[in-house]
Amino acid sequence: MKIVKLSIALLMCAIMASCSSDDAEDLTGETGNIILKFDNGVDGNDFVFNTEYSKSNNESFKLETVKYIISNVRFKDADGNTFMYPTEDNAFIINEANANNAGEIWVELTGVDAANYTEITFGIGIDQARFALGAEGQGDFLEQAEAEGMMWSWATGYKFIRLDGTYSDGTVTNQALNMHMGSVGTTLDNYKETTLAFPNSIVVRNDKTPEVHIVADLMKAFDGVQSVKFSEGYDQVHVDEVETPIIATNVAAMFMVHHVHNH
Amino acid sequence: MMKDLQSFNIKCVLTICFVLFFGKIKAHNGCLWPYKSHTDFGVLCDLCSCSTSSGSMGFGTLNNANFVGLRYIYQKFESQNGVFQNSPKSEENFNTYQLWAQIPINNKYYVTANLPYQDLTRSLNETTQNINGVGDANIIAWYKLPLIKKKKNNETVDFNKTNQTAAHTLLFGLGVKLPTGKFEEALTDNVNPGFQVGTGSFDGIFSAGYNYAGNKIGVNTLLSYYLKGENKNEYKFGDQVSFSTNVYTVFKTKKINIMPFLGLSGDSYSEIKQYNETLNDTNGTIVNTSIGTEVNLKAFVLGVNFTAPIHQDLFGGNVQSKNRLALYLNYSL
Repeated sequence: MKIVKLSIALLMCAIMASCSSDDAEDLTGETGNIILKFDNGVDGNDFVFNTEYSKSNNESFKLETVKYIISNVRFKDADGNTFMYPTEDNAFIINEANANNAGEIWVELTGVDAANYTEITFGIGIDQARFALGAEGQGDFLEQAEAEGMMWSWATGYKFIRLDGTYSDGTVTNQALNMHMGSVGTTLDNYKETTLAFPNSIVVRNDKTPEVHIVADLMKAFDGVQSVKFSEGYDQVHVDEVETPIIATNVAAMFMVHHVHNH
Repeated sequence: MMKDLQSFNIKCVLTICFVLFFGKIKAHNGCLWPYKSHTDFGVLCDLCSCSTSSGSMGFGTLNNANFVGLRYIYQKFESQNGVFQNSPKSEENFNTYQLWAQIPINNKYYVTANLPYQDLTRSLNETTQNINGVGDANIIAWYKLPLIKKKKNNETVDFNKTNQTAAHTLLFGLGVKLPTGKFEEALTDNVNPGFQVGTGSFDGIFSAGYNYAGNKIGVNTLLSYYLKGENKNEYKFGDQVSFSTNVYTVFKTKKINIMPFLGLSGDSYSEIKQYNETLNDTNGTIVNTSIGTEVNLKAFVLGVNFTAPIHQDLFGGNVQSKNRLALYLNYSL
């Protein structure tokens, strides 16, 4: 009977241990990190360079460059408070060529206020406020964008997304495909933001770095909110005032948070 | 007389060894007191213990005899490793070595205990990851209720029969799974949440069983509920319901008894919770068939059990359980 008693005692311990109280933590001044994992795909498949993907209108495409700019990353917590990542560090180039073995491009955010966040908002491209800071106000990012080929001239501004490759349809084969969408100086503003709810809250503490797995479906740049045809001029998208807003809307809607990891 | 004494000694020694080993491991990990788990060293324990070392795998042998023994379980899983249809698959090979026992207390009560050593390997493309170590132990106290038929001619019950094997027996078990294995929070990234040596939690185990031992065939049926606790990482594996039923027969020869069996078993997992929030695609069910045999030679029981899934939907379909093999060698007490 001793063993029976011991078992029961252990069970009681287990029950008691699992009932410990959850006192509200004081998180004042505490910061932690968040890792954003961008994972580019096409229609449910992992994106692979120079692989042919079929889209609508009997068109297909292959890409050799996939880059886009993410900025103004911010998080909203369960109480409705927003944490904006510091502006001077809050612009990133997501380049598929820099993906790790798992096909992910990581953005590591440091010094994030400790909280339980429920959603993320970010912009695709550079907003007018940042552009208005002038070339000097861009910090290192300008140099980085130039090196990555994500700028026209300073006057025209940044390329928000850059998809280069070729397309084919029933009549043409491997025609050049260059989709470069951005704002055009201050005359055409194509900066758009997207807000994505997390399937589970992310818990940021000084010893907890959650990971947010963001999937971008590149197909939606072409077959998204609006379907576009390469054969009707969307094979070469640059600063056109009709084409670029359509692509901007498509690109802003191509992201989803697939899952988060808390640890 | 001499022979009896020897046999008694062996039983004693084996029992004591088992208890000592069991006790030592617990002490080493500081498992007896949950609050010690707040240090990084000696982290407390299990999905593994439930999915790999008990649950539908059962806690004992066919004839419900008392024993100490060793059991080896091999399991294989295939998991979708990534968020896309064409994401690569990883292969998980789980090797579990268990010290297990069924120790009698008296006619009505006995205890089963189980201490696994886990050796788990996960391969993705060319990289291989291995974790190993003591897994989560469990101890269950059982109450045996023999159903004795009243004699036809008079209404008295023959109490002497309780010493013999009753044809119909009901079993009730109450137990605990201890966090003797190490839970690594970093591994929760994996698609297969079973890739852990332990769960880090104290879990309650509630079991009810029915055994029938006839002259030609026997039936063992067991239903268990696992009430999973939360571990120190505020991670709680989903509660689990397991069932198993085995039908066996006996072929007797002069020296050995051969007991082949067919079985049906299953597990159903609720969703995992972290920070009190439910994680998507972490629930699942699996139903297995199994075939095997036990061979009794004197006090030794050799068992083999091959299990194949017939229906499964684990973790959003991202994890596929393959075949399972169990081998055991027991010494009857």
